[in-house]
Amino acid sequence: MKNLIDFFKSFLLLELLKGMSVTGKYFFARHVTVEYPEEKTPQSFRFRGLHAQRRYPNGEERCIGCKLCEAVCPALAIKIEVAERADGTRRTTQYDIDLVKCIFCGFCEESCPVDAIVETRIYEYHGENRGDLYYTKAMLLANGDKHEAQIAADRAADAKYR
Amino acid sequence: MINIEIDGKQIQTENGSTVIEAAHQAGISIPHFCYHKKLSIAANCRMCLVQVEKAPKPLPACATPVTEGMKVFTHSEQAVKAQKGVMEFLLVNHPLDCPICDQGGECMLQDMSVGYGGGQSRYHEEKRVVLAKDIGPLVSAEEMSRCINCTRCVRFGVEIAGQMELGQAFRGEHAEIVSFVSGTVDSELSGNMIDLCPVGALTSKPFRYKARSWELSRRRSVSAHDSLGSGLAVQTKNNRVLRVLPIENEDINECWLSDKDRFAYEGLNTADRLTKPMIKQDGKWQEVEWQVALEYAANGLRHIANGAGAEQIGALATANSTLEELYLLQKLMRGIGSDNVDFRLRQSDFSGDVKQQGAPWLGMSVADISRADRLLVVGSFLRKDHPLLAARIRRAARKGAQINIIHSADDDLLMHVAHKAIVAPDALVEALTQVSKALASEKQGQSASGEAGAIARSLAGGERVAVLLGNFAQQHPQAAQLQALAQQIAALSNGKFGFLGEAANSVGGYLAQAVPGTKGMNAAAMLATPRKAYVLLNVEPELDCADPQQAVAAMQAADLVIALSAYKHHATEYADVLLPIAPYTETSGTFVSTEGRVQSFKGAVKPLGETRPAWKVLRVLGNLLKVDGFGQDTSEAVRDEVLQGVDVSAKLNNAIGGVEAKAAPASSGLQRVADVPIYATDAVVRRSAPLQATADAAIPQVRMHGEELKKLGVQSGEVVKVGQGQGSVQLFAVADDKLPRGVVRVAAGHAATVALGAMFGTITVERA
Repeated sequence: MKNLIDFFKSFLLLELLKGMSVTGKYFFARHVTVEYPEEKTPQSFRFRGLHAQRRYPNGEERCIGCKLCEAVCPALAIKIEVAERADGTRRTTQYDIDLVKCIFCGFCEESCPVDAIVETRIYEYHGENRGDLYYTKAMLLANGDKHEAQIAADRAADAKYR
Repeated sequence: MINIEIDGKQIQTENGSTVIEAAHQAGISIPHFCYHKKLSIAANCRMCLVQVEKAPKPLPACATPVTEGMKVFTHSEQAVKAQKGVMEFLLVNHPLDCPICDQGGECMLQDMSVGYGGGQSRYHEEKRVVLAKDIGPLVSAEEMSRCINCTRCVRFGVEIAGQMELGQAFRGEHAEIVSFVSGTVDSELSGNMIDLCPVGALTSKPFRYKARSWELSRRRSVSAHDSLGSGLAVQTKNNRVLRVLPIENEDINECWLSDKDRFAYEGLNTADRLTKPMIKQDGKWQEVEWQVALEYAANGLRHIANGAGAEQIGALATANSTLEELYLLQKLMRGIGSDNVDFRLRQSDFSGDVKQQGAPWLGMSVADISRADRLLVVGSFLRKDHPLLAARIRRAARKGAQINIIHSADDDLLMHVAHKAIVAPDALVEALTQVSKALASEKQGQSASGEAGAIARSLAGGERVAVLLGNFAQQHPQAAQLQALAQQIAALSNGKFGFLGEAANSVGGYLAQAVPGTKGMNAAAMLATPRKAYVLLNVEPELDCADPQQAVAAMQAADLVIALSAYKHHATEYADVLLPIAPYTETSGTFVSTEGRVQSFKGAVKPLGETRPAWKVLRVLGNLLKVDGFGQDTSEAVRDEVLQGVDVSAKLNNAIGGVEAKAAPASSGLQRVADVPIYATDAVVRRSAPLQATADAAIPQVRMHGEELKKLGVQSGEVVKVGQGQGSVQLFAVADDKLPRGVVRVAAGHAATVALGAMFGTITVERA
């Protein structure tokens, strides 16, 4: 008897129809998949992506070289050298973040007393060569300059929860 | 003894101690800023308020003496409330910018505010601003707004350094620490104010913004710059020495460090560091491999030993070379058949060598100096030659000890000097003879007159007498006689006598046998009758030797000069091989301090470039020259070979016999008195930029009695020409009426005076 039913099932392509019905159901259902890169997921203002160094509105770099971020960094990804600038202030002469080491925990941003080092919403970056992801002070400052409006808006949005 | 109770803990403490001392003794911490165990009590920070039973208000623990049955509560509600209140007031005017402060991470105020402060500031008004001050090249007073007016620096100046260079001016909110004597802080101990300052007001200028405290690794080391053997915490980062701090040791340097020890590290990585072996070929210097340089040196020595004879080779080393280096150097020399090896480069009288029974040393422990009640210091520029020993003597003087001085210059020692005899160098022996005679007659109940009599009476009245011979006495042409007289005086007054060692290893050099035997030549003889070859260990002949003229002439006449040096110095003019060796921070080694304390240390950082520790270089030279006994693997093995497990104290002996004190023939003309300026004593110090910017490192002046200057027709402040032998230099003349007549004081060991001759002897001065 079972053999007989199987025989007829194979004729009538019932499994195929069953499968097609699942496909058909999702064909009209609401779409979940994001079509990256044409589409992008929404981001929190707390998103921790690529780092940037910020400046004050008058153009002065914020970083004072206190080295708290270097001390707190669990991946030892930050390297800072400090010297006295001609005007007597404490400034960094070297501020490097090795993004290959970085685990994007955001401790550097948390520890910064002057909101100089921040993690931006940027996650689309890459390196083609060894060392491309070793970000220097100039690169970080350029990042900050480019995205300052977004960075400032994000900090402002987060401020009331702090 | 008194019984008290702190936080429920029963404590027995000495009568007269304070609550904070009792608490620290019992391991209970009480927050404090102005209190410091070595300074007087000011009780002006109020941080140490504690509750005392039956007292209506909280009391400052640092200024409250203990009484029998006292009950103290350091963490009661009242005490904590008081401490929190004080902390809030302290922070009212203190900038809250720890991230840019150099003290951040090692700041007492930062730590205390975590423990006793609030999380938020309630103060929103404007803060007080105190203007930055420039108080010299060592201590930075850039951030005086951070000052909490604890006055530790002021009390240190008055009580330890002996001069009040910083003071507190104005009142109330306007109170601030100012320098009001000369504008700069010139004390040779000024660096200690940096350690004392509990906040970031006084910080190290050379270290400013160089690193944070948590980045530095600490290495234990021993000072190479004076004979005290101070413990150093060498702090390094990325294989570079960035800071030096004291290691506390009550028996040696207590918690202090002289500026020389603290800031000398700035001279370690200068541009003229030698980092590759070099040999001179056809008059040109070439960098070569170690193998080539060592073989060149070994072949040169072998050639001269086989040709002209081994006694034509001489070895000179400085007294701040390590024990291991000195030992291997003498072993190498003796291995190739030469007995000419010496480390006492500034000494001029070696007649005591055969009469001396052991290694000359302090004759007592350093701590004994603090306990002495009568001191006689002979021939010492005490403050500049031995800054921390001088501080000990100063404290002894404050406690009532009588300090007597016999010397050829009358520098301000910043302490009460009971009696002093300031005589010309050739009258020094006579002056000591007088004191000795006066002491002898004092014993028979007859009082002698004059300064000698006064000094004798002072010494005779003491229970713990110490007679100390300084650098000047050791370098004196009649050093052996001075030693014999000091021995006599000490014996007559039932005291001890000894030498204030000149350099870090002045005792170690003797233990390493880096002195000529009966056949060999001493440092002076080696230079007076030039050798064909010299081996120099750490030596800059024109600056380190007693007679620079003679030293340079001898070097230039030599066929072969092998210089083991950390720096490319003037040796490039006469040397044939330069072997880069590591300074004391880059090598392991041992120093034997002037009190006979053997202290070994390890390298704090890796040797720079191709530099190698000198003991290794000497070992390889020994192997290349096929001398036996150069198979040591470690510097510890070398040290153990030197000391052979024998107690060092058995080898220390100041006793000298068979020396007769004879007055020197009266010299005709002017006599030179030469000190080695405090920041010109050794190669590293001479290259330390911040030290060279201090007042103590100024270009030497020609100092003479005003009447003597008048005789020459020279005004104070005019340039004069000073001559000795072939050479002469032009320097400013300054009238100094404290100097004896017939004496010209011109510093030695300084680049400005290398053209002159011996440190003692006649000198001419004329109008330029």
